[in-house]
Formats: sequence, C-alpha cells, structure tokens
Amino acid sequence: MKPATYILLLLSLLAQSACTKEKPHDEKQGEVVRASIGPIKTTVKMVYIPGGEYMPFYGAIDSNAVKVPAFLIDERAVTNEEFLSFVTANPQWRKSSILRIHADTNYLRDWPSDLELPKDARPDAPVCFVSWFAAKAFAKSAGKRLPTLDEWEFIAMADADTFNARSKKQYSDAIIQLYMEKGRQFKPVKQSAPNYWGVYNVFDLIWEWTDDFNSIMSIGDSRTGGENNNKDLFCAAGATSASEVNNYAAFMRFGMRTAVKAHYTIANMGFRCAKDTSNQTTQ
Amino acid sequence: MRNKLNIKQMKMKRLILSVTSIGMITILTSCGGVAGDKPTAENKTAAIDMKVTGEAKVAEVTSAPNVPAPVGDRGPQKWIVNLETTEIEAEIADGINYTFWTFNNTVPGSFIRVREGDEVELRLKNAANSVLPHNIDLHAVTGPGGGAEATSAAPGQEAVLHFKALNPGLYVYHCAAPPVPMHIGNGMYGLILVEPAGGLPKVDREYYIMQGDFYTKAAAKAGLTEFNNDKAVAEEPDYVLFNGKKGSLLGKNMIEAKVGETVRLFVGNGGPNLTSSFHVIGEIFDNVYLEGGSTVSHNVQTTMIPAGGSAIVEFKVDYPGQYVLVDHSLSRAFNKGAIGKLKVTGEANPLIFNKGKK
Amino acid sequence: MKAIGFLAVLTFLLSSCSFNEAKERKLPDNSIFHLTSNWKNQDGKSMKLNDLKGKTLVVVMIYTSCKSACPVLVSKMKQIEKAIDKAYLPAINLVLVTIDPENDTPEKLKTFAQTNKMDEPHWTFLTSTEEETQEFANVLAMKYKKIDPIDFSHSNIITVFNPYGELVIQEEGLEINVEKVASTAVKIAKENN
Repeated sequence: MKPATYILLLLSLLAQSACTKEKPHDEKQGEVVRASIGPIKTTVKMVYIPGGEYMPFYGAIDSNAVKVPAFLIDERAVTNEEFLSFVTANPQWRKSSILRIHADTNYLRDWPSDLELPKDARPDAPVCFVSWFAAKAFAKSAGKRLPTLDEWEFIAMADADTFNARSKKQYSDAIIQLYMEKGRQFKPVKQSAPNYWGVYNVFDLIWEWTDDFNSIMSIGDSRTGGENNNKDLFCAAGATSASEVNNYAAFMRFGMRTAVKAHYTIANMGFRCAKDTSNQTTQ
Repeated sequence: MRNKLNIKQMKMKRLILSVTSIGMITILTSCGGVAGDKPTAENKTAAIDMKVTGEAKVAEVTSAPNVPAPVGDRGPQKWIVNLETTEIEAEIADGINYTFWTFNNTVPGSFIRVREGDEVELRLKNAANSVLPHNIDLHAVTGPGGGAEATSAAPGQEAVLHFKALNPGLYVYHCAAPPVPMHIGNGMYGLILVEPAGGLPKVDREYYIMQGDFYTKAAAKAGLTEFNNDKAVAEEPDYVLFNGKKGSLLGKNMIEAKVGETVRLFVGNGGPNLTSSFHVIGEIFDNVYLEGGSTVSHNVQTTMIPAGGSAIVEFKVDYPGQYVLVDHSLSRAFNKGAIGKLKVTGEANPLIFNKGKK
Repeated sequence: MKAIGFLAVLTFLLSSCSFNEAKERKLPDNSIFHLTSNWKNQDGKSMKLNDLKGKTLVVVMIYTSCKSACPVLVSKMKQIEKAIDKAYLPAINLVLVTIDPENDTPEKLKTFAQTNKMDEPHWTFLTSTEEETQEFANVLAMKYKKIDPIDFSHSNIITVFNPYGELVIQEEGLEINVEKVASTAVKIAKENN
C-alpha cells in the first residue's frame, strides 16, 4: 500500500471513530444495548398448572368459557433480591438509566441507588414500583414471560382446598380482607399457606402485572357495565361485562388493571413469571 | 255549521286567553323574582357562553360542617380544585375505628364552591399508599360518567379533569371506581355547590351536612372494623350518620346560630342506599331548594333527600334552644346515629313559644 | 485512483457524521424512537420507529378487517389529512399501525392503502409481531383484545408525536376532534421547521 493511501485509510478510520464516539453520547442508550437482555438465573420453583376451561370474570365473549392451556407459573412473586440481580446484569433497566417511556419517575422509588435495596426492605419481599415494561424485561431475562390475564385469573379461582372456590360464600370476602391490609407488600413471600395448586401469595401481598393487562377495555367507571362503552367506543359490542356482580374482590382487581398504564410504577404492584409447558427446559 | 264555528272560535279564544295568562304569570314571576331565581330570558347568558377572566387560582375547599365563602357577585373564573383520595382509619363511633376511604381525609369530602360559568381544573391525586384506584364522578359535571372514567387514578397517580359548571345547584360527587357501592359505603362522597350568577341570597350562617349509611363487620364492639358487603347488599346498615361519625354534630360539635339569624344548610346524602327524610325538630324550613335544584318550596317540615342527591334548606331561627337534626326515619336517628344539633342562643320571645299556663 | 476512492469515502463519512450531529440532538428520554421493535411498512420495507424520526407523527392503531370502529378511525385520519395545509404534509407522517399483524401483512396493508386512497408518501402503514405490537400499544395506553380469529375489541386513540418522538396529544373515542389534531400537527411541524 502506498503511504498516502495508508494515511487516508487511517484518517477515515479516525473520522469514523470520532463519529461513533459521538453517538453513544447523543443517544446514551444505543439500539443494541437496549434490545438485548442479559440472562439471569432464578431459583424460584415453577408450578405446573394443567389448565382447563374457566369463565372469565370480565371480558367473556358471548358468555363463553375460555380455554386455558397448561402452563408453568412461579410459585411466588419476584423478590427484591431477584430484581437486584436483574438490574445488575442489565444496566439499561437500572433506576438511573431506565427510559421514561418504560417507567415513570417512581421506578424502584425507595432504592437509594442503582444497585442498593431500600434500607429497611427485606430481600425476600416482593419487588414493587416496577413497570410492566420492566417486569416483561425481567421475565425475558429469566427465560420466561409474564402470565396472561386468563392464566392468572385461572389460578386465582382457587382457595386452599379447591381449584375453583368462586361459589363459596367466603371467597370474595376473604380476599378483600387480604387486599385491605396496609403495608402488606413489605412482607416476605411464602409466609402464608399456598393455594390448591401450591401457588403462594396470590392475594395477600401485592397486585400483579399480567402480560395482557391492557386487554380489559375499561371499568374505571364500573357502572356502565361495558354496554355503552362498547357501542360508542369499541368494536364487538357486548364483549365485556362482569359475570359475577357480587365478586367485589375481582372488581377491585380488574379496576386496578384498567387504572394502570404500562409505564406506571406503584407501591403495591409487582409480578411473577410464567412459562409455556412446551419449552420447559430448566426448572 | 254556525254552532260548530262558534265552538271553534270559543276554543280559539280560550287558547289565546290561556296563552296570554301564562305570559302574564311569567311576567309577574319574573318581576317578583328574588335573588337566586333564574334571571329572565332577556338578560340570561347561557353558562356555556360565560367568559372566564384571570388566571386559574386554587379554590378554597372546606371540611364539614364548614363551607367556603360565598361567590357573591364575582364573575366567572378559573379554579384549580385539589382533591386527594385516601384510605384511612378513623373513629366512626366511640371506641370503634373504621377503614374509611375519603376525599381529602374527611367524610364527607371537601366542600367545593363555584359559580355557573366557572371553569374548573380538578386535580385528583390518589395517595401513594392507597390499595386501590379511585376516581370522581361529580353530578355537577356534564360529560361521560361525570368525569369518573377521565379521573381514574391508580395509587400514587394524579388525574386531571377540566369542566365548565353549566347548571347551578347543589350536587353530590362520589367515587365511582369498582365496586362502587363499596367506595361510597366507605365514605367517598361530598358536595359541590354551583351558585347561580349573582350568588345565592345572603344568609347569616351556612353549614355542610352529609348523611351516609355504613355497613360494618362488627358493630358495637371496640376496635377496628370495615365494610360488610352482605349487610350493604341487604341494605341493613349498622350506622346512619351525619358527617361520617356518630356525634359529629353533638356536644361541642353542635352547629350554632343566634336568635334572629338566617341559617342555610347544605344537606347531601351519599347513601349508598338509603333515602333521607331530613327534618329539624322544632323548626320549619322557610325555603327548600328541592333536590338541590332551582325550584324553591316554602314552609316545609321534612324534605326528602335521595341517595346521591341533596337539598338546600333555609330558615330563620326565632327562639333559643337546641334544635335536633334527624333523618325522620327515626330508628336511624335514635338507634343508628343520624342525629345532630343546632344550638340557638339569644333572647326568648314568649310570643313565639312559651311553656306553661296563661 | 485508490487514493481518490478513499478520499471520496472519507468525505462521505465526514459529511454524514456532521450531518448526523446537526440533526441528531439528543433524543428525549420519553421518545418512542428509543423503542427497538422491528416493523415493516406497506412496501415490505423493514424499519424501526427511529426511521420515522424528523417528522410530526399522527398515529392510530387499527386492523384492516374491522367493520365497526376502525373505518371511522380511518375516515378521521383522512379528515385530518384534509384539514392539514398541503404545504405542511411533507413534514407530517400519518401512521396507521395494525393490531392484527397475523392478517395484516405488508401486501394487505398496501392494498388497503390503495383502496382507501391513502397511498401518498405521507401515509405509512406498519406491521410487526404480536409482542412488539403489544408493546407499542402499551406505549400509547391503547387497550385491545383479540376476541375471535378475525376480530378485536379495542380503544380508539389518535396520538400526535413531535419529530423527536415525544407524545404531544392524544384524542380518544370516535368523536375525535379532527381540527384539533390537524392544527396541533401543523403547529408542531411549523415549530420544528
């Protein structure tokens, strides 16, 4: 190679590097970094749920039961400790670098810094103040996904003794009692009895994100019963109305789901992960 | 033929006559209209066309039994109203605490006072430690759900609703988040007064009273109790209360007036279920704005206040003593708490009331 | 010869670099252009949302086989187009994103665009995967649910983003204020000219 060519090549490389050097400064989160998720290992036991037919509390189409295929679900919610390991492996999901489009300003609100749990928080308490986007990223990094709303509600039908306790008189009341306890989210996971499936803390610690929480049109104003809304606002009129008007606990849960947006982070809202049975490789 | 024609003509005449007399009556009433009545068609600007002036100011709101200052003769303005939804423990009766859900930490929630044509920016913040989402449906608002859907706020979130007050009157507001009867049953209601242009006529005393029925897990036992859905569905309350607490208008909490003063009570009923038969023992309401609207009835003994409704009652106190406020469905008053007192001080006029033989 | 070639490359690199610097002011934290989802437009061209950067966006999510609400939304989008002064159309992108990626292939979107006379350059149709569609819907706080193989229930939202990908306004419901959306889009386009 002629020296002139050599110098030119060098120059061009220099120019290029100067260019690329500018870029991460301009967009501190480049596409590549954002898109990839560093894997983490979790040790939580997953419970096999055989699935089956169930009647959705809200959103049943023409009052038809919905078939829920078999799936695996974490026996408990994701803990503070686990979320710490997730943000350790995934800097873009840390408190200081998360995008506002992915979480509001309360994200991990009480964490003093990026890799530090709140001073008085128990590592084995469920993580809260996490957005749907963050929950989804966590699940991905663990090789899992978020449960669907139907999967979650399928499990929620159970009490300690039966897989479907909805018709029991005490079912809704007992849940409301649990919902109403202030500060329940600070307690460690798995301290109360599991339900029929061996799943813990379905009601007594936190609200939980589901993958398709945004599939419930809206009962922010529950009195319209969906009817008017559907005619005015939505396709497929009549697709949404509550199936059990006395199930106040479910009204609360669905009310919560319709009140949140995916970037919201909330004091008593966390998540657990699920997985398809087919790609059941790790346990 | 002739007869028929005559009948026709007569009918015509009568029609014209009656039309004229209706016109006359209209003119008469508009002439004799007192302040607070709707202005006549000629000078009445529709509320929607009333222009607001100035920057938005934060509106004064008050907890019962107090009300903010009257609007007087000010023009339409812009207001910011701040409300926070909370879930708190507070005393419902002696030694018994209840988990109330509130607007601004009180039951009933803060009293909002505006005038027709005002433009309100309502900021509804849901406390960060709330368990549930909340919202607000204001009966004074024209629009879907009274704003319920638009103001739905998850714990820690704030929602904003802009509205123009179109209709004067005394209106209930309440939370309409699911399940609604529970949110209302826990105390999530209050009143918003929209005064007509020019304001309500002046009186000496104004108070804010709101009735509600409460359904608890364990009545009459000390400790903390909470909402009981079965009793609510059966509409069998343990408590029927003024201003969310047994004795809230008794003892040192009595509302007061002096002989010769005019008293105006803004009375609401949050429900969720019972209709109130509001009565003040020993008084006659000189004026009642029926159901909180613009029709004023006079010389009323007991006025019905539906759940989710209101009434404005006015009377002059002429004689000293303690006047008992009740829901005249009296078991509620004597057994469930729907009782309060107005203490009137001043000189007794024996001509009005005098005990004993002549 | 070679040297000249290198020179050309160098010049190009340098110029593209400075061009980028000038145009690429830091993306705001809440910009949708940070999203890494992969899309195809009606011409089958693969793209990221970031490729839409630089223009004011008017975005709606629909599906083409919808018989009830979506036709109204589509007609609203066309009304918005009409309400925008022609001079500003090159600075504005009217974007229709399908919530039914399974059925709404780029070809189908192309046909839909032609049938509905939405095939001018300021119209963009986008399709992705179900997962990435869901992510985008959640960014818009749009609710939807597949209720049978061909139908969805969904909320109706038209959103305006500025050229940096920040959400400016959202109009919800079928009674969307066309004038407001159009004037907002024009205002932003003017400001960023």
